[in-house]
This record gives sequence, C-alpha cells and structure tokens, in this order.
Amino acid sequence: MSDRSHLIFTGKPFQFDAERDAEFEYLVKRYPSRESMILPALWLTQEQEGWVPGEAIAYIADRIGTFASQVYEAATFYTMYNLHPVGRNHICICRTLSCWLRGKQEIVDYLANEIGIRPGEISEDGQFSLEEVECLGHCGTAPVVQINGEFHENMDVEKLKQLLSGLR
Amino acid sequence: MAETVKLFVNGQEVEVESGKNLIDAFKVIGVEIPHFCYHPALGADGNCRMCLVGIEDGRPPLVPACKTPVAEGLKVQLDTEKIKKIQHDVMELELINHPTDCPVCDQAGECTLQDYYMTYDHQASRMRVPQVLKGKKMDFGCGVIHDQERCVLCARCVRFTRLITKTGELGIVNRSDEARVTTFPGRKLDNRYALNVVDLCPVGAMTSKDFRFKQRAWFLSRSSGICHGCAKGCNIFIDHNREKGGDDRIYRFRARHNGLVNGYFICDAGRLSYHQENEGRLGTTRLAGKDCTIDEAVETARRKIENARKPLFLISPNCTLEQMIAIKGLATARKGRVSGYSDSYIMEGDGDDFLIRDDKSANRAGFAALGIDTTLEAFRLALNEADLLVNFNNDLLRSEASGTFTEKLSALTVIAVSSHDNTLTRKATVAFSVSSYSEYGGTIINQDQILQRFTAAVVKNDPVPNMIEVVRLLGGPVTDDVTITKAMQDAIPVLAGIEATAFPTAGLNLKEKETDHVTA
Repeated sequence: MSDRSHLIFTGKPFQFDAERDAEFEYLVKRYPSRESMILPALWLTQEQEGWVPGEAIAYIADRIGTFASQVYEAATFYTMYNLHPVGRNHICICRTLSCWLRGKQEIVDYLANEIGIRPGEISEDGQFSLEEVECLGHCGTAPVVQINGEFHENMDVEKLKQLLSGLR
Repeated sequence: MAETVKLFVNGQEVEVESGKNLIDAFKVIGVEIPHFCYHPALGADGNCRMCLVGIEDGRPPLVPACKTPVAEGLKVQLDTEKIKKIQHDVMELELINHPTDCPVCDQAGECTLQDYYMTYDHQASRMRVPQVLKGKKMDFGCGVIHDQERCVLCARCVRFTRLITKTGELGIVNRSDEARVTTFPGRKLDNRYALNVVDLCPVGAMTSKDFRFKQRAWFLSRSSGICHGCAKGCNIFIDHNREKGGDDRIYRFRARHNGLVNGYFICDAGRLSYHQENEGRLGTTRLAGKDCTIDEAVETARRKIENARKPLFLISPNCTLEQMIAIKGLATARKGRVSGYSDSYIMEGDGDDFLIRDDKSANRAGFAALGIDTTLEAFRLALNEADLLVNFNNDLLRSEASGTFTEKLSALTVIAVSSHDNTLTRKATVAFSVSSYSEYGGTIINQDQILQRFTAAVVKNDPVPNMIEVVRLLGGPVTDDVTITKAMQDAIPVLAGIEATAFPTAGLNLKEKETDHVTA
C-alpha cells in the first residue's frame, strides 16, 4: 500500500455527463441512504474519465450530500479507484500476503527495470501504468496480476513478458 | 447513584451503576480499563482493541469493554496473562511507526500512549525496519496543528467532526500502515468547536497552535473554573503556571466535564478567552490618569460618592452574585441608583443550539435573581439625572450600540472599579484595579438557570483586591461573607437548605422544584 492521499486536481470543474447523470439518479433509488452512493459514484467517475480527479471527489460529496472527507476516505482506501491518469494498459499487482510470499516483488522489479514504471507511475509513452493493490481474492493461484480488469494467475516474469508483448 | 448491579472483577465482587459500559462503570470505582478510541461523548467505536477483556460465560474469549454493558453477575477478567499479552501486543503495534518524540511533544506528561507504555508495555522496540513517514505540523485550520506520525488512528477527532459539529472536515485516508487523518484539500477545519479535537486526542497528534511549545504539561497547575465568555457558563480547567522570576499566568483553558452545563466540550472562543485574563488588564489604581496608592484613590472616591446627589452604580453582567449584592448594598446606603444595563454584551444571532450563546456575559441571570434593573429606559433615565457614575467593570461602550451615551458620559464624573482597561477606565477620575474571574471565587447563574460556584485559580505576585474589598473600602455595608451569604439566601431561598460543603459540584438547577434540593 502506498500513500494515495495526494489527489490530483485538473483545474477544470467536474460533472457527470448525461449518461452517468441518469445512471446516478437510477442507482440512488436502490439504496436506503444517499451515502451508499459513494462507491457507485466513484465507479461512474472512473468510467467517464478513466480516473478520479480531486474535483470529482468534491462533486460526488456535494451531489450525495455527504462530507468530502468521507468520499476521500473511500477513494483512497480502495485501490481499484485510480487517483491519477492511467496508461492504455493498467497493471495491478496484488501485494497481499500470499502473492508477496509467492514472488510478486520479482514482477514489480521486472516492471521497474524493463519498462521503467514503479507502483503509482505511468510509462513515458503512456502504454502502461502500474499499481500495487490489496488482496484480489485469488490467493490459491498467487501471484495474481490484473491487467485492464482481467485476472492472470500463477504469474511469473516469463509469463508477464509474453502477456505484455501481446499488448504492445 | 442510579440502579446498580453486582458483578465480579478479577474474582472480586463489586457494585457498579447499571446502564454503563465496563469502561465507564469501572472508572467510577477506580478500576482502569485502558482504551484509546472510546470516549463517552463519542460512543464506542471498537477500533483500538486496547480495551479487550475476558468474560467467563462462554462468550468469545475476548470482548471490547467499550461495547460491553455491565450486567448482574458478569465475571470480568482484566488481569489474565492472555489479556496482558494482548495489551502488550496492541501497544507494540501502536508504537511501530510512532516517532517517540516525547521530548519535543506538547502532549508529553498528559499522553495516554506514554502512560500506557509505562503500565502495559514497557519493552524495547523490536523494529529494525524504517518507519513509515507521514505529514508533520500540518495546519488543519482553526488553530489545530496535526502530526500524522504521532496519531494512533483512534478516530476520536473524525467522529467529533461528524457526530458533534456535523461538519465532517476530518477523515482517515489510505489504509493499513499508510492510514492517516487529514482534511480534503481546500476544506479545512471550519467550525467554532474545532479545538476540542486537541482535548480529545489521546496522544500528541492534535495540538493547539495557540498553546504549542508554551509550557510543559507537568509545570501547569490545573484549577477548576467557569468560562465567562458567554451566558452558558461552560466548565473549564484553568491551566496556569508561575515561571521562575515571573508572575502566575494562564496558558490555556480546557473543557471540564459537567453534564448539567456543557458536557465534555467548550467553544473555541471561550477556550482562547484566557488571553483576556492575561492581557488588557487595568494594572494599577489611578487618580486622574496617574498611578496612585489605593488609600489615595479610596479617599477621593469616598468623597465624591458622599458628595454626589444622585450617584449611579453600574454593574457588569460578569460580576458574581456576591459582588452584585455588595454593590447593591453600597448603592442603597448612598441612596444611589443601580443598573445592570449591559446590552453591549449581547451579540444578537451569534449563538447556536450547542454551547455558544448570544449573551457574552456570565451572570446576567444574577441581575434578575437579585432584582437589579437592566433596562435601557431605566438606565438612560438614571444616567441623565446622575452626577456621578460608579462603574463596576461594566464595559458599557464595548459595542456600537452604546455610542449614544458618549456625550452624556463625557460630562459626567466617573469612578471605575475595573479588572480591565476600557474606555470608561480611561476617562475615570478614579480607577480601581480589581481582580478578574480567574483570580476570585463566587457564584453565578447561567442562562439556563444553573447556579454554579467557582473558586480562585490564579494568585498573582501582587494581587489586586476583589471588587468586594473595594466596595468595603468605599463604605459598603454588605461586604462580609456572612451578610452576603444571608442576602443571597434571601434572594434565592433554595440556597438556604444547602450546606456549603454539600453544594453539588455540577451546580444547582434553579428551575427544578425546591424540594428536590433539600438534603434533609
């Protein structure tokens, strides 16, 4: 887990587009309290922008009618929300116990040396970005790497090389 | 005491109040259960795990004491090896990333983490890896400075802003060892009670910009007092110290619990109002603007009062009942008028529904209890007829509203008996320097008719007299304790039924039926 508390502000006002706006209003009816919309609203933002800028967190808080600090908490707690722009291929590596014991660090080191991205960074050409995330729930097939939302189990550096070459 | 239950602590039978959790109930009988996150005003959160205790009844082996209500026959274990091991382990976890900068930390000496380390931990660090570094001296706004590394993440401050002020500025971001308390960028602390998080913080993570690095906690004398910032009369600790070669000085006010008045908190304005006890004081007794001895001042003042045909005695709404009685006695003897007119102390619309009141004076209700007129009409009439104004600490011109009197006042002889320097002391022929509320004791009634007593906290190197002493010197007939007490009992009959030693510490609710107070 790295420090995710440094939000990026774009300097542009944020709001949901028409489609997300309708989705928000549709979803809000499903929950007993408006606070429950924090996670769905963060997803909608990520769908729309690819990541969650600081302005969006304030927007969501005001739209829901809750404290910005509460949305900030949720956004920084869950590693699935990108708090900075990501590459065309977003790589998430599980860093929780099983994956750590089964060699996630070798994969992280490989990416740092070969592609030049450390957790929380994006490659210069914008192709790849990397995040270390908490348990992805596939401990039995550790280490797990998630690329663009797809799970790849029993990973090692060789397998990752092949995967990445297919993505280039 | 309310209803009680009998239960066992470490095999010993004890009787405690029912309806409480184990922490609160045992605290009353002197048994400590260590805890960071639980606070009676904020409820049980159960996040710190320091209060885990054993219950011998087939429950899970350990339960958090903050979430466990007392019950008849409960067998609570606090000192088993298992519990000690857990306390030891929790402390070790708390201290992994703690900077242990006690020598430069304001909280040192009154820090829960320090105290618990000595009681429950007392081991050398086993950590051989670098600590997680976080934010230091972060300005959270409202005079609150935060140190993320010292924080134990009990979330008391976060819960305070969400549950009490309902402003929710604080949150805990990230997770695991990177978790930290912070504000959302651009939305810092912005409420009138924010400094309570400094009191609430069990460690030195939240410090007050106003108090930081001014005093070590162990040098401070903690006296009980009552805030005179508004008509709520919140209970406070007056923390003061006489530094070597210096004078006794107040360094901070802190909230003191009183369930009848203010609960656990005070407002920031009240907390910082101690500055007015240290500064802006009328330091010396003056005659025509020049320092003089009290004897000289008394002589002149007595002559002026005796010669006056229609003296007007103006009383501050911050005076104690005792002082008001003494002044009223003097006025009656001198056939003068008494007024408690003090609209300049009222800031319409400034109060809220929590602790802050519109009326920025401590004992306005005392005027009503003693039958002292406070109306503008009566004051104006008396002022127009008066040839002498004897002002007892009433800062008449503190707000614009009273500007209309300036003309009349400039033509009038003024004797000021005052703790603070103000426009009236500056124009007074005679100005007596008297003590302020941190230096004397007395009785006041708050806006909700709660009568409270307080005692002197600060003793100056060269004490100035209490206002009552000046009244005595000026020839007031009602200035001794016995007569004043009698007069107070006449005005507030319920007081007659209460021995001074049996006076309730939380104060007396005058709205309740008198019979409730008779301690026959």
